[in-house]
Amino acid sequence: MIQVSNLSFSYTKKPFIQDMNFEVHEGEIFGFLGPSGAGKSTLQKILLGMLPGYTGSAIACGTECNRHDQDFYQSIGVDFEYSTMYEKLTARENLEFFSSLYRQRVRSIDELLSLVGLENDGDKKVTAYSKGMKSRLNFIKALVHDPKLLFLDEPTSGLDPTNSRMMKDVILEEKKKGKTILLTTHNMQDATELCDRVAFIVGGKIFALDSPHNLIMSRGAAKITYSWLDNDIEKTGSCQLDRASEDVTLKGLINENRLLSIHSSEPTLNDIFIDITGKTLV
Amino acid sequence: MSRIRSISISFIHMLKFVKKDMMLLAAGVSPVMIGAAIRFGIPFIENLLVKYTGLPYVMEPYYGLIDILFAAITPVIFCFVAAMVILEEHDDHIDRYLFVTDLGRRGYYISRIIVPAVIAFVITAALLPIFGLSDQVVAVEVSLAIAGTLQGIIIALLVVTLSSNKLEGMALTKLSSLLMLGAVVPYIMPKPYSYILSFMPSFWTGMMINENNIVYMAACVAVSMVWIALLGIASKNK
Ligand SMILES: Nc1ncnc2c1ncn2[C@@H]1O[C@H](COP(=O)(O)OP(=O)(O)O)[C@@H](O)[C@H]1O
Ligand SMILES: [Mg+2]
Repeated sequence: MIQVSNLSFSYTKKPFIQDMNFEVHEGEIFGFLGPSGAGKSTLQKILLGMLPGYTGSAIACGTECNRHDQDFYQSIGVDFEYSTMYEKLTARENLEFFSSLYRQRVRSIDELLSLVGLENDGDKKVTAYSKGMKSRLNFIKALVHDPKLLFLDEPTSGLDPTNSRMMKDVILEEKKKGKTILLTTHNMQDATELCDRVAFIVGGKIFALDSPHNLIMSRGAAKITYSWLDNDIEKTGSCQLDRASEDVTLKGLINENRLLSIHSSEPTLNDIFIDITGKTLV
Repeated sequence: MSRIRSISISFIHMLKFVKKDMMLLAAGVSPVMIGAAIRFGIPFIENLLVKYTGLPYVMEPYYGLIDILFAAITPVIFCFVAAMVILEEHDDHIDRYLFVTDLGRRGYYISRIIVPAVIAFVITAALLPIFGLSDQVVAVEVSLAIAGTLQGIIIALLVVTLSSNKLEGMALTKLSSLLMLGAVVPYIMPKPYSYILSFMPSFWTGMMINENNIVYMAACVAVSMVWIALLGIASKNK
């Protein structure tokens, strides 16, 4: 669906996006994960044909992005990181206008509104919307023409847990219908939960690219930590889960039934991100 | 063909949008009002002036100039309304969004600037024979309408490129409307000094009417095209 090879781009003379290579397969959710300023939105804009001055190649839906024709946008849905609505008009008027621009069959506006819990707010003006409501409205706007490729820029940022859950469910529902989804986020939980594959991006470079599961497994397996009482003093020990049988202390404690507590913990994508890039996500 | 569909939808949307603040009504009515005021008011005043001063004529030598300005006014009003809509849409990030829909960047600018300009041209070309003061041949009247329309496009592009909000846009419209005054130059400034202002497209319409030579229209179109090309590049880099 998307092929990027040797892609470089900069807003200034200083190099920014450098020699990037990756592919996004049809039907997958692909995430750009990185801190603010990493170049996630810039990458999306390149793939949307909004920044034609790049070198190398970026192909979306079979079209080189800086040489697309107008039909390019028929099968693409975009949710920018900021609100792109007529503030003076109601949500419904906005959605009606944007969907009227497309030739193909469009989705029912009522259905879209209720998908994200805005069924009772359709006739309110967008100015009266809260930030979270605007995010949800912007998101469903990207779906009106039922595009097969979706670009979502920080779709869940600024949403409370309930609305974030609702939004993620809709995203997963779209994936089930066979849509290809490219999303950016700096929220590792969302990335782990939604993405088939993620690219770690910092300073315009990809540091790692794999499924969240593989990335987590690649760095140190899960660990066991345990505690016991030694002369009324609590002590703790730890070992790798896959080498538990080699831990003599643990074995002894188990045999003597002296364990006070025991848990295993997997590293999070956040830990892995810090490990690989040396940067935190926020 | 699909282009035409989305462009007309986008244009009609703009009409509905400006209907809300009476801008549409004002823009629609003012060409006829101004035309009627000129056609009936100016000769009336001229009569009074001639009687009062005893001169054979006072304003009559400038009737052609007044027609140039009348041919410019409808495109300026229409393009001003369009520029205001564009600036408001820019504030709401709508333009950037429309660029990545079926409408596209080109379709957006066609629906916001070219379509209003073409309508302004048709209205101007229709009203000029009715309200024009100087008796011009059809070719000259059409030329004046074309010149006025190109100037309207230039003013709209100037406003859209140089201002970042509606307030700045209003101020800039007033300022860039001074471009119309280039037409006065050939009437009041001797050659070759007047050529200093030949970068103004309306300077050449002034020359055309003042010297009664339609060939100057070519220079007017050429200068206008340079303006439009430069502003087009500038707005793309904005
Ligand atoms: N239009 C622009 N002109 C110049 N610099 C820009 C522009 N847009 C973004 N940048 C810069 O590029 C960098 C990456 O921005 P962006 O892609 O938006 O990052 P992210 O989406 O990962 O937070 C930032 O340092 C930002 O300041
Ligand atoms: Mg961003």
